[in-house]
This record gives sequence, C-alpha cells and structure tokens, in this order.
Amino acid sequence: MHAYANPTRFLAIARPLTPWLLGAGLLLLLVGAWAGLTQVPGDYKQGETARILYVHVPSAWLGMGGWTALAITGLVQLVWRHPLAGIAARAVAVPGMLFTALCLATGSIWGKPTWGTWWEWDGRMTSMLVLLFLYAGFIALTSGDEGQRQGGSLSRGAAIYALVGAINIPIINRSVVWWNSLHQGPSITLRGSSIDGALLWPLGLTLLGFSCLFGAIVLMRMRRIIADNRVAARLRRLADDEGI
Amino acid sequence: MTGVISGGGQWAYVAAAYILTAVLTGAVLLHSWRAMAKAEGRSDALRASNRRGETPRGDGK
Repeated sequence: MHAYANPTRFLAIARPLTPWLLGAGLLLLLVGAWAGLTQVPGDYKQGETARILYVHVPSAWLGMGGWTALAITGLVQLVWRHPLAGIAARAVAVPGMLFTALCLATGSIWGKPTWGTWWEWDGRMTSMLVLLFLYAGFIALTSGDEGQRQGGSLSRGAAIYALVGAINIPIINRSVVWWNSLHQGPSITLRGSSIDGALLWPLGLTLLGFSCLFGAIVLMRMRRIIADNRVAARLRRLADDEGI
Repeated sequence: MTGVISGGGQWAYVAAAYILTAVLTGAVLLHSWRAMAKAEGRSDALRASNRRGETPRGDGK
C-alpha cells in the first residue's frame, strides 16, 4: 500500500483506470436502469414505485460507503501520514454528499406515493440526514484550509472528525432494527435477500454501475488536486529561483 | 392508507427519482471531469514552458 502513496505511481494507475471506470459505470447504469424500468414487473404491493429501488439503494450504499472511506483515509492520515490519504478524503467528500442527498431525495419521492408522506422523523431518515450534515461539515472544515494549500493533507482535527463521524454508519444500518418506523426492515443482508429474484437482478447492475461512477469521480477529483499541487510546487520553485 | 397513490400516477414519482439522480450525478461528473482536465492542462503547460526555459505567467494560458 505504501508503494502507491507516491502520487506518480498512483497517477500511472489512475490515468488509464478513470475512463474504464467511467465507461463501465455508464454502461452498467444504462442497462440496469433500462431493465429496472422495463424488464421487471411492478411489486405486488407497492406497484411501479418499487422501481425507485434501483437508484435509491445504490445512493444509500455509496453515501455510507463514502463516509467509511473518509474514516479509513482519516485513520491512514493520522497513523501513517500517507500523502494520498488526505487527497483521497477530500476527493470522496463531494460525491459522498451527492449520493447521501440523492438517497434522501429519492427516498422522499418514494415515500409520498407509498406511505402518504414525503418525510418522517424516524431513525433511518434522521440518521441519514445527520450523515448529510456530517459531509457538509467535513467539506466546510477542509475547504481552503492550510492542508489544501500544502499538498492536500488533512488536518488532525479533520481526520478525527472523519473517524468520529463513522459512529453514525452502524446507527444508519441498524436503525430499522432498533426503532419501529414506516421504513421497511433490512431487505438485503449477509444471509440473503427478502426481495424476489425477479425484481432483484437489475439492482446488482445499478449498484455496480454507480460504484464504478463513484470511483471515476473520486479519481478525477484526486487527479485535479495532484495537478494543482504540482502547479503550486513549480510556481514556488520558480519564485525561489528568481528570488521573489 | 391516506394519501397513498396507485395506478398510472406512480410513474411520475419513478420518473422524478430517475431524472433527479441522472441530472445531479451528471452535473458532479461533468464538473469533476472539467476541473481535472483544466488542472492537468495547466500543469502540463507549465512543465512544457519550464522545459523551454520560458517564464510562465502562472495561469497556464
């Protein structure tokens, strides 16, 4: 892992990987959305609205997965001071926040025709909203800070914030078990799925597709930060050379 | 249940969820791509001008 902490080595992998992830993500999403909208039957209880599943579940997965990645990079930054850990954390924050917002919005759109309400202050929705605020706090904490001007590393405070915020992830996951609410219980667990196979298969495509897109967005944002760092370093060297 | 919508009206909610997802994901994707291309272009231009021994203007233009 330490070998890839070098930005040059990282770029040798990230440059060819970005278009592949982008292409695979778009293709999987198109096929998954087409299948979810036209090839599977409506749910016997919820009717056509169950098709929102194919965008809602991947958004939830990536919103929570994004913060898990933030916590891991925060830990790596604190313990090993990898040059890329802070850059990766900064790159994950915006797409993580995007998918958390999409999870809340698509859930709300799904809730209106199914439950008769756009919003319910229950454990799942409230803890997901807390995750959105955590992302907003992280972005505010790290935008334009000293670390951003010095190569993209995270401050100690931001790394600890990312780690502490991870407490919310198991709370989101277990919320539908701990508290009774309008939100359904866990449909997909390690022991299997309560969703019928006829409805489930496009979800695999959209989950994989959105994950590839998420990866492509993170790589693009990391590449931007590294390029900005290189420009800043060159300009500093030039200024030093010319005695400015 | 009060307010539950069934039948053809459900498709409007499905379309809204898919369109919102496509527009927001597309916007972040496009913004990230353009920012990356611009930053890497600036870095490459600066490196090229350094090799030629020119003094860069700093904005990469």
